[in-house]
Amino acid sequence: MNVLIFLIPLTLIMSLLGLLAFLWCTKNKQYDDLDGSSKRILFDDDNIKKS
Amino acid sequence: MKKCLHCENPLLNNQINFCCDGCEAGYNIINNSGLSNYYLNRITDSKISLKPELNQEDFVIEDYCQISNTNLKTINLVIPAINCGACVWLIENLLKRQESVVNARVNLTQKILELTWRGEFDVGKNLINLINNIGYKALPIEEGYIKEIEQKFNNQIFKALAVAGFGVGNIMLFSFALWFDSNNEISGITRQFLYILSSIIALPVIIYSGRIFFISAYRSTIKGFPNMDLAISIAIFLATIVSIIQTYRIGSDIYFDSVVMLIFFLLIGRYLDFKARKKIFNITSEFSLLQTTFGRVEIEGRVTLVPSKKLKKDMVLIVASGEKIACDGEIIEGETIINNSLISGEIIPQNVKIGEQVFGGSINNGNPIKVKITKNLNDSLLSKIIDIIAKIEFKKNTYVRIADNFSKYYTPAVHLIAFLTFIYWFFYQNDLWDVALMKATAVLIITCPCALALAIPIAQSLAIANFVKNGIIIKNGEVLEKLEKIDYVIFDKTGSITIGEPDLVGVYDITNQQFIQLNLDDLTHQKNFSIAYNIAKFSTHPIAKSLTKFLEKHVDNKDYKLKTELHQGSGISANIGVDSYYIGNKEFCNIDFKFDKIHHKQDDFQSELSCFFSSADHQYLFMFKDKIKENCHELIEFLQEQNKKIILLSGDKKIEVERIAKLTKINQYYWQKNPVEKAEIIQNLKNNGNKILMIGDGLNDAPSLALADISLSFAKAVDLSQNIADILIESDKLSAVIYLMKFSKITFKVMKQNLGIALIYNVLAVPFAIAGYIVPLLAAIAMSSSSLLVTVNSLKLNYKNKL
Repeated sequence: MNVLIFLIPLTLIMSLLGLLAFLWCTKNKQYDDLDGSSKRILFDDDNIKKS
Repeated sequence: MKKCLHCENPLLNNQINFCCDGCEAGYNIINNSGLSNYYLNRITDSKISLKPELNQEDFVIEDYCQISNTNLKTINLVIPAINCGACVWLIENLLKRQESVVNARVNLTQKILELTWRGEFDVGKNLINLINNIGYKALPIEEGYIKEIEQKFNNQIFKALAVAGFGVGNIMLFSFALWFDSNNEISGITRQFLYILSSIIALPVIIYSGRIFFISAYRSTIKGFPNMDLAISIAIFLATIVSIIQTYRIGSDIYFDSVVMLIFFLLIGRYLDFKARKKIFNITSEFSLLQTTFGRVEIEGRVTLVPSKKLKKDMVLIVASGEKIACDGEIIEGETIINNSLISGEIIPQNVKIGEQVFGGSINNGNPIKVKITKNLNDSLLSKIIDIIAKIEFKKNTYVRIADNFSKYYTPAVHLIAFLTFIYWFFYQNDLWDVALMKATAVLIITCPCALALAIPIAQSLAIANFVKNGIIIKNGEVLEKLEKIDYVIFDKTGSITIGEPDLVGVYDITNQQFIQLNLDDLTHQKNFSIAYNIAKFSTHPIAKSLTKFLEKHVDNKDYKLKTELHQGSGISANIGVDSYYIGNKEFCNIDFKFDKIHHKQDDFQSELSCFFSSADHQYLFMFKDKIKENCHELIEFLQEQNKKIILLSGDKKIEVERIAKLTKINQYYWQKNPVEKAEIIQNLKNNGNKILMIGDGLNDAPSLALADISLSFAKAVDLSQNIADILIESDKLSAVIYLMKFSKITFKVMKQNLGIALIYNVLAVPFAIAGYIVPLLAAIAMSSSSLLVTVNSLKLNYKNKL
């Protein structure tokens, strides 16, 4: 069972990273416009030439 | 029919691809930028016009920009025409192709564009003109407004929910091992290790996510009205303390998992509530942002858009045809017809000349005019009505929501039971104090209003989302509970029961003093009516518009070559060859018709709107009436079935109110009531303990709307009424009201069922908790199963929405 001492903190650290990533996204307003994001994914990435 | 390639309006015969130069220019901009895919992918909405406006709006761009240290300028613009992904794609890509643009991002939910550019203010102005040129009208938003939204709807709850979700998931990892360790196979040291890990996760989560409840509990307590959050906070606090002690002693029952789960479930309820409010805020702000927020003012020879808040005395407003007048004032140039129907309920437009007063909120139906503002906004008619409303709102007693009412009895009862449990185990069973405390805590946890906290928000958010889909905006959830208890439904007349526009009801031949009613279907091949159509179509007067609309369906020749002349306030004349034609009032048409001839009907006619038409050989009289809305009878019948009393309350003349009341079979009606009198009638009814639903749209209804228990208004209504109303109906259809009543009834039933489920579960579980049989596993099962049950029960609302 000693392996738990290593594995459990590892799990926790990994999930904590996930949580931090999520909070970071929230802070960057990535959840502010869910309607827009659902459409935006369909846009083609074309190279925009500045005129 | 062929459609304009850009705005998709139907084309006239002589037009090839575009309906106007603006559309052609817009189309070319899009095509030349290589963005023509937009036309393939867009979803057009007939309600939204993409026709570029020729006269560009001008505003002081400096007032709206934020300037960064590196001299980048940012402006927020609301673009109401945005409705699909292609719009977002087009606007963003078009702007990003411009040299000066640093960033352009559209928020589709809020229809707001954030534009950042490098360079002078004029560069930004050109960019905004570019968007206007492709048909997307953009209006600037003040920075303060954006901040206000951000402050009101920050993501605190969302973040707290995420953290709590993280906590629940990870603590469960250890708890599962502990829950199923019934034979104590896990050694003491491993057990303590798992406990400590649980606490390491739980404590930060409790502090971070739980603070939403702690803060709310604290605020309500210092105000002297402790709410449900106090009970929640006490339960969280006690359970945490007990669990810490048990961790230290390597005891058997730790409640870290229960506490975190509790917070998680409670936050789901809060989040749903929050989301519904945000959604409604977005919809209503879209409405209010776009109406009279601006007045077009002439400053130093330049026309500039000024937010109505900043309009001041002596400024000169320029009001184009069809526009709303932003502020009270006096006409200094031009002569026009003003539609006051939203202010007074009167549908007959008023002729106004230089020197006459006009009120903010009326619509200019005729020529462009210049209005000098004579009063500051805070002593205009509008602000006087706002004052009345402020007094009413101050006196208005607050409604106690069903959940609050419930918790008023529930919370003390639960605490009493927990306390008695402690007493029993400590004094009578001689348990140690911490064992007794743990049992009392178990009672608090098991009774904690988890399902209870979800019961209302889940049903409410599902119902609100469903209403929004059906064009009904519920601004506040209380309404769903209150609608059930309504005794009186009070209608305003113009704009609520009636459409508020004249509608042709009869055509009479009055040549040589005769009075013959013509069959409306027989007009088709008469040359005179073809000519009448061709004359009337040049006017924007509501009566002429209605006449045009009617004749359009009945005449065959729609293209007479004629020369028309508009006589403001009297009518229109036209010449074909040597023959003269007149449409307008009696004097203008030079008709000597005496109404006494038909005096048996005189009463009928007095209340009506009329217009005369004289041709070379005949004279006609057109009669109009304000038409009752579709589904009105259906609604009245429905309300009568529900035993609601109905009142018609109008500012209009007796005869017209009487006519509408008769037609709609409303027995109780009042006429010529001013805003204060209207409100008094409602106050009297309220004093007798009646609950009132007020349906109205005008400025004169605003105080009544504020006073009524529930107020309903339409999207066409004046801003103020829209702001006050609890319910907004996007179309002006009355069938929506029936839907509202029926579906809110179902929603209310589901809410009550949910509360029942939550209560039954508690009643069943409490004896076990008192007896000390509840272990953390049981608490977790009970908590999640009851929450699940409430959720599933609420989902019924998604299937019962087709009435």
